Amino acid sequence: MSDVHDNDGGHHHGRPASQIELRARALEALLVEKGLVSTDAIDAVIELYENDVGPQNGAKVVARAWVDPAYRERLLADGAAAIAELGFGGAEGNTMVVVPNGPGVHNAVVCTLCSCYPWPVLGLPPSWYKSAPYRARMVSEPHAVLREFGLELPAKTTIRVWDSTAEVRYLVLPERPSETEGWDEEALAAIVTRDAMIGVAVPVAEQTPA
Amino acid sequence: MDGVHDMGGMHGFGAVVVEGGDEVFHEAWEPRVFALSHLSNVCGLLGGPGGRVVGESMDAAHYLEASYYERWLWTAERQLEAKATIAPGEVEAMMARLAVNEAPPRAADPELAAEAVAQLREGSPAMGIAASSRFAPGDRVRVRRMHPDRHTRCPRYVRGAVGVVERVQGADRLPDRAEYGLPTEPEPVYAVAFASQDLWGESDEPPWTVLLDLFDTYLEPA
Repeated sequence: MSDVHDNDGGHHHGRPASQIELRARALEALLVEKGLVSTDAIDAVIELYENDVGPQNGAKVVARAWVDPAYRERLLADGAAAIAELGFGGAEGNTMVVVPNGPGVHNAVVCTLCSCYPWPVLGLPPSWYKSAPYRARMVSEPHAVLREFGLELPAKTTIRVWDSTAEVRYLVLPERPSETEGWDEEALAAIVTRDAMIGVAVPVAEQTPA
Repeated sequence: MDGVHDMGGMHGFGAVVVEGGDEVFHEAWEPRVFALSHLSNVCGLLGGPGGRVVGESMDAAHYLEASYYERWLWTAERQLEAKATIAPGEVEAMMARLAVNEAPPRAADPELAAEAVAQLREGSPAMGIAASSRFAPGDRVRVRRMHPDRHTRCPRYVRGAVGVVERVQGADRLPDRAEYGLPTEPEPVYAVAFASQDLWGESDEPPWTVLLDLFDTYLEPA
């Protein structure tokens, strides 16, 4: 009880570290006690995003588009349908638009009003995506934000920032690094990062696959 | 609602890339709040307007101070109260019990667990196709001036600006009404492209493009 602080200092000693943590535990306990929700259902939802749904899904989509021009065409024409071909879809991902990077064009995604994000292909968003600075600055100074991520684009490249203000969810299709000639899909998927599919990074071919 | 949640273009928030920023969750309670919110929806425990509307109604200082999942928790509580699933004071009473180390109750319901996961794998229906639309790709449009005291998905930073329709995304119900459960027919939603100069004035950086998905109601011919 003495460990209950009125700020969220992030200290954990197996007891409530903050009022807000205690509050969250209390709400769960209250709904469970009322017989309205179950502990195992909460665990199951968490496990879904821990194990099954994450950026590894989007990476497979990108890698397929890199090796299969017909798939790439379908992906750009109807994102959700092409993504469903690989078995992915669901909440926050049934209306998908895939935006391709190309020579002179770099896409990036933000949600200035909340934190809309394509869950089925990227999982749940990282903290920075949900943060005030990203939501505020990505539309008004994208070059500076990308520089913070270590991405300096050629001056002639036009940045296209997609603000997810309706129910469309966006996935960036990065350019395939030229060094990856001959790589198979699995090796390609391994270099496609979450940040590259949001558009704050580009894939880098650091090592040739075995 | 022209609240602090409408952050596009605001100054004063500092750096994007900070320590810990890469994590999806910082603390163990956060994914549980995420899951609890979803489950409350699955089980029909929530009332009142949609979650975005409720979250935006937070006191401005509280919104900025609260962590992301703290906002989810606050929103869930308000929605649970709106349906009288919980009564004011009940959470505090349970907090007092847990604070003296009372073991929290646990329950198993494999059917509910399966249903909760199934609904996430299913998701909401996709946006419909627009049978007809007032604007076509290439049309110049101006975003209407407005100052709504209720929910909207038209950010402040594009109001009054002229952009070009890039594509018709589909048709959807105007969230300004639909989020309150008010009757509304689907209307076209357009991806509209704005030149950076038309939103932010001149910049030392090369020009960029900002694209937003805007409902027909928000637009007028330009």
